[in-house]
Amino acid sequence: MKKLIYLLFFLPFLSIAQQKQKLVSGTVTDAAMNIPIPGASVYVSSSMIGSKAKEEGVLDSAMLGTTTDFDGHFEFSIPEDIKSLLVSYMGFKTKTIDVSGAATNLTIVLQENTENLDEVVITGYQEIEKRKTTSAYSSINVSEIKQAGVSTVDQMLTGQLAGVQVQPTSGAPGAPSKISIRGTATLNGSSDPLWVLDGIPLQGEDIPKDFRDKDNIDNLGSYPIAGLNPDDIESITVLKDAAATSIYGARAANGVIVITSKSGKKGSMRINATANAFITQKPNYSKLNLMNSSQKVDFELYLASREDLNYQENRGSVARILNSYNAYDTFQNSGFSAIPTEAQNAINKLKNTHTNWGDELYQMAVNQQYSLSISGGGEKNNYYFSAGIFDEKGGTIGTGQKRYNITVKDNFNLNDKLKVGIALFGSQNKTFSYITGADAYTNPANYARNANPYLTLTDDQGNYVYDPDLVERSDLNLNYNVLEERKNTNHELTANSLKSIFNIDYDILDDLHFSTQLGLQFDFNKTEKFSDKNSYYTRKYEQKSQYTTTNGYAYYMPEGGITQDLISDVFQYNWKTMVNYNTTFNNIHELDVMLGTEFRRNKTNQIQTKGFGFNPNTLTTIPITNELALKNSLFTPYKKQISENSFSSFFGTASYTYDRRYTVFSSLRYDGSNLFGVNPKYRYLPIWSVAGSWNVDKENFMDDLEFISNLKLRASYGIQGNIDKNTSPFVLGTYNNISILPGMNEEAINALGAPNPDLRWEKTTTSNLGLNLGLFNNRINVTADYYNRKSTDLIGLKSVPLESGYNFINTNWGTVSNKGYELAINTTNINGSHFKWTSGLNLSHNKSIVEDIEIKENSFKPSLKGHSVNAIFAIKTAGIDSNGLPLFWKDDKKVSAVEFYNLKEGTDGTQLTRQEHRNLYSYVGDGTPKFTGGFRNNFQYKQFGLRVLTSFIFKQTVQAAPSYYPTLAQPGNNYSTEILDAGTGNLPALIGANSPGFNTDLVYSWYNSFDAGRTYDDLDIWVKDISYIRISSIRLSYAVPNKKLEKLNISGLNFNIEGRNLLVFGTDYDGYFDPETYGSLYAQPIPKVISAGFNLTF
Amino acid sequence: MKKLLYISITLLLCVSCDDYLDIKPVGQVIPTTVEDYRSFLTSAYGITNLSKVLTSYRSDELQINPSSQGIEQYEDVYTWNDENPSPLTRSYPYAIFYNIIFYCNHVIDNKNDMEGDDNEINELVGEAYALRALQYFDLINLYAKPYSNTTAGEDAAVPIVTSYQTNVDYPANSLQEVYDLILDDLDSAEELITLNQQNTGLNYRFSKVAVKAFKARVYLYKNEWQQAINNADAALAIHSDLQDLNEDTSIMPSEYNSVESILALATVASFDISNNATISDDLIEIYDQSSDLRFNLYFKETPAGRFQSKKSANNKFKVSYRTSELFLIKAEAFARLQQSEAAKTSLLALAINRYTPEGFEQFNLKIAGLNTDDLLAEILKERRKEFAIEGHRWYDLRRTNQPEITKTYKEQSFTLEKNDERYVIPLPNDAIINNPKL
Repeated sequence: MKKLIYLLFFLPFLSIAQQKQKLVSGTVTDAAMNIPIPGASVYVSSSMIGSKAKEEGVLDSAMLGTTTDFDGHFEFSIPEDIKSLLVSYMGFKTKTIDVSGAATNLTIVLQENTENLDEVVITGYQEIEKRKTTSAYSSINVSEIKQAGVSTVDQMLTGQLAGVQVQPTSGAPGAPSKISIRGTATLNGSSDPLWVLDGIPLQGEDIPKDFRDKDNIDNLGSYPIAGLNPDDIESITVLKDAAATSIYGARAANGVIVITSKSGKKGSMRINATANAFITQKPNYSKLNLMNSSQKVDFELYLASREDLNYQENRGSVARILNSYNAYDTFQNSGFSAIPTEAQNAINKLKNTHTNWGDELYQMAVNQQYSLSISGGGEKNNYYFSAGIFDEKGGTIGTGQKRYNITVKDNFNLNDKLKVGIALFGSQNKTFSYITGADAYTNPANYARNANPYLTLTDDQGNYVYDPDLVERSDLNLNYNVLEERKNTNHELTANSLKSIFNIDYDILDDLHFSTQLGLQFDFNKTEKFSDKNSYYTRKYEQKSQYTTTNGYAYYMPEGGITQDLISDVFQYNWKTMVNYNTTFNNIHELDVMLGTEFRRNKTNQIQTKGFGFNPNTLTTIPITNELALKNSLFTPYKKQISENSFSSFFGTASYTYDRRYTVFSSLRYDGSNLFGVNPKYRYLPIWSVAGSWNVDKENFMDDLEFISNLKLRASYGIQGNIDKNTSPFVLGTYNNISILPGMNEEAINALGAPNPDLRWEKTTTSNLGLNLGLFNNRINVTADYYNRKSTDLIGLKSVPLESGYNFINTNWGTVSNKGYELAINTTNINGSHFKWTSGLNLSHNKSIVEDIEIKENSFKPSLKGHSVNAIFAIKTAGIDSNGLPLFWKDDKKVSAVEFYNLKEGTDGTQLTRQEHRNLYSYVGDGTPKFTGGFRNNFQYKQFGLRVLTSFIFKQTVQAAPSYYPTLAQPGNNYSTEILDAGTGNLPALIGANSPGFNTDLVYSWYNSFDAGRTYDDLDIWVKDISYIRISSIRLSYAVPNKKLEKLNISGLNFNIEGRNLLVFGTDYDGYFDPETYGSLYAQPIPKVISAGFNLTF
Repeated sequence: MKKLLYISITLLLCVSCDDYLDIKPVGQVIPTTVEDYRSFLTSAYGITNLSKVLTSYRSDELQINPSSQGIEQYEDVYTWNDENPSPLTRSYPYAIFYNIIFYCNHVIDNKNDMEGDDNEINELVGEAYALRALQYFDLINLYAKPYSNTTAGEDAAVPIVTSYQTNVDYPANSLQEVYDLILDDLDSAEELITLNQQNTGLNYRFSKVAVKAFKARVYLYKNEWQQAINNADAALAIHSDLQDLNEDTSIMPSEYNSVESILALATVASFDISNNATISDDLIEIYDQSSDLRFNLYFKETPAGRFQSKKSANNKFKVSYRTSELFLIKAEAFARLQQSEAAKTSLLALAINRYTPEGFEQFNLKIAGLNTDDLLAEILKERRKEFAIEGHRWYDLRRTNQPEITKTYKEQSFTLEKNDERYVIPLPNDAIINNPKL
């Protein structure tokens, strides 16, 4: 080692010092664009001066050479006996220049090197040269997938990367996309990947697991990447296998997405401005297939005509009209013509009263987005400043998002050895939505499905008309009107975020590098919910304060509005320090070793306040004095929560490459975290991986196969672990206040969950086999991977004997495996001088199998064992009988509902044991798509560009919410037109207790009252397989020719128009807005957007 | 620069970073000190158990009305339909007893590891023993046969759990074993607890007098009459005040701040009992409304002319033991031992505080003429009157003569036969599902 240093320092002086010098000078230019290249290296090859083999093309102090200035010019002196120079620049082929003769004013033209574009893989800890990689990753430049009118980068990834499934949770502005990388490796933990920005893991809320749930879908959240402007992002790298992710430790169990932000490039200052106007189209309300007024009135008449269908028979306008003329029975007995003419007219008038709910709830919105960046760089520093504004109003009236961004990045080379960088990302992100939490009706999408089409919203004087059929009880209507609700309530989240990164890099020796990086993240989030006195939300809330007095009911909630604030204050720091040693000996052995430490700590303070009797003018509230409120958590005025976590980790990687052909790689990380009350032996988790790769194309026997320009085989294996922080071998307690006897308030400690000293950590092993293939000078690039992830000892709740003191304890009971393959093919189809066509296709298949799971004894549905994590079980129906009652398959025989559910007179069907109940179900399909992927095409003709992005899903089993319940068809609600076909095809008929048919009363009471496991929801008639392809973006651009711009001192001007989400082909998804949210009654439609914009650079 | 390097290298080498990772989450604790364990046991004391509310519905104290709100929860309890109850039926508590036992076990197990004053530790652990005994006592009175010294060794009761373990079986122990545990625990409690009486407000906690009162009741239920008398006397030696209703009817004698209170722990009434149920005719009839001062104190009349309990969900009505029970235990035990005079003395000592002077005269006269059998019946009747809606009735029915009870509901008649096997409540379904060994 020492010798080497000695040599490196002194060799140049020894060999050069006393020699005669001559001057070389010239200009380096780019062959394609014919513009100067600043920052290119011009140097004397180290081999020529006897230095040990380094990576060619990288300058170091031991060598002789320089870099070109802003104008691509260079000039320096060399010993006279040097015959040639090397000129290199990243992304270009290195060129050797003969300088044996006169060597001034040379013009050196560099050719672009397509082979080495994206030479390194950025892992967030290291930059690994592609030829040395052993792991599975996908990466993409954001410029290739950028879409206008999309606020976060997660949505842009849909269908773009193999093995990365991105599913939008809702079309609401700011709604997150659920990302799963290579399936789900956990049964109850978060399955979100880790987001990393320039080496710093981002903190944020988890995306709710079940986003079909109305509360989850409508809550506004502050997600890790919500504050980042996609315009500031250079590229995205997704780390997939254990060899790639294990360096991130336990957090990386679901994969890692590394974001590399833009930074300044050497050269003169560049100013880039982008502006887009985008129009969010009004959603197609008719997708919901609801009955129109005429159909609905006829349906109500039909219900009224049937004596046996008396569920809520007085609801609905038809019944109200009939009753007001005392004609209900007349109608039932003698038909429409027998009722008074006035009643007939009133009913006919109803048929022609159309409220266009689509227009009342949805809108077309004109939105805009701007960003501006200034960047550049020189010898000593490079810089990137940007600002952005994103302003979107959603298709659903009352929703929106507004974001402001500022980014500052600056890197300084303080001297040859020391580099310092600083980056600041500041943003304010506001999201608006309708208020939630009262009940399902405050969700517009859901209300629209239920509201009668003839219902008017305002009367002639403009007063609100309340929905007469939306009642709490027969004697209580809390008066809901969607317009009033929208006007008098408010729900918004303001997320202020500052992320800052400071890093120092120091070259201790030529091959020994030190770096340290500190990242701070400050998030300040405030969610405000306000509901005025005159709102359904407030009225509904008041009901929860009802109590009895001697004079009947009273309410302790003060009169007035309700204001609820949730403030959370998040601070995180992440400090990592690494030492890298990279060396090459004997020209064929390359060794890279890295050791490092990482410390991370985060703290969240959360304060929740509620004020009642709020007056929006005086901003004052009224305290609740009634003691009953103390026991009702809905009326707790103030609540504070603090959580703090710390992590300390030690890690290292080692990579050895032999003869540029064989590479072995290994990484090891010890992850420690604060685990209050956790078994000390699990304090530090060892996480490791080994991997290897073989660059087959470098072998001699490949020389004959010239069409193969690149061939690499990879294999990796690794183990990751995770420990459940909520289970302890000790008895953990939480503080609480209780009052056992009047007047005494005492501190109490509640035991928190059952202790389990035997708990082990969850383990996931991943093996990966991969292939990179480049054909015909890399015009065709194929990446294929096969993986097998097996997660064992997954932690979940298990029922235990009640005598232990608990119902459930957390134990290691699950095993889940995910196997799959991924294929990505990038091709340059046509590469003419005027016309260029490139495409990228990716396809992934993942199959998860729950190999072991303990089923809860009281579960209604079958165990997932042997099926996918998202397996769908349903009840197999066999059509309907002549009375419209459903028939079922049981032991290959068609049986009636009575036989199938074992319904008996005098009992209620609950005599089915849970095991028998579970046996009613059959496996019908996998809720995870069989194949996912995308296809990207870029066409370039002269100045015009056309880009088409698509994503596709093949064979996914989905389950709709039943469009009606046969025993609960009520005239007060609107329904999908499917209910008109009830009793035909496979759709069960509407029945009452006295409807005709054998034992109909038994079937009726089963579905009406006793079907506690809700088997009706799981009838296979609601389940289907879908496949679709979505054209997510079509973008047409025009680049104004350079010649025209030069006079204006403009270096680039692009105009573009884009249509997003305009088309979906595939299985129909009638009844829902989008195939992605099929089955969700609450999801907002995914917006169809048309945008126009420009991008200006000078 | 060099400094930075050194710092970083030091950090790299730093292997013991446990301090960095030692974050005590706000609001969370692993109990270590006696104060922590006190708060821990306070949680156990604070767990609400509605078994006595449900047994009041099951006994003959209440009448329910099909039209009252939420009545579905009680219909099958009221009519002893244990076989096929509606899914809406409130089930008898089971898990909650063992949850409280878990807390007690944890306190008892850690007696030697607790930090703090020894006296406080003894006091606390003593209470934990008594509280554990109380859970087992309630469990066997719900789910096992009444005690009989000939069969208790074979009668299945409930599993005994005295420490927390995962992955073990919990087979049911015999009734004898459970009774033995209860008495052992009470002996331990007696040894450890030195405080004679708790102050009002803290009298949900066990004290010496409460343990003795509890023991008196256990022996009464075990038909060991002399032992019952001895323990009642021991308790009365500490605390024997009775509330004279001729002078003070501002509160009920069962309230936590009455002079009679010994332990104010069990929840005996609920919102539904006081608002949505009425007192059975049967129970109303045994009171002499004019001379029995308890009648107006315990009950209120509804507009329909029926009566409802004034004992409600309010915390102040919590009661487990009070001095009047000690008098009635003694009266009953003496009567069973054929010692009529002593029995009468005890009975009258209570009665003088319960009847108007004229009423007491009549009562005195009536008692004077009774033979031992009739006296016992009168004592049990007095017990029923004294402890109306206090969670005693179902247990008393079980352990005495298990009479036939007939109820009419929705124009249908339901009968609990004499010595009906439904005097033992079957174990709840969820208990059996989770523990196949039961």
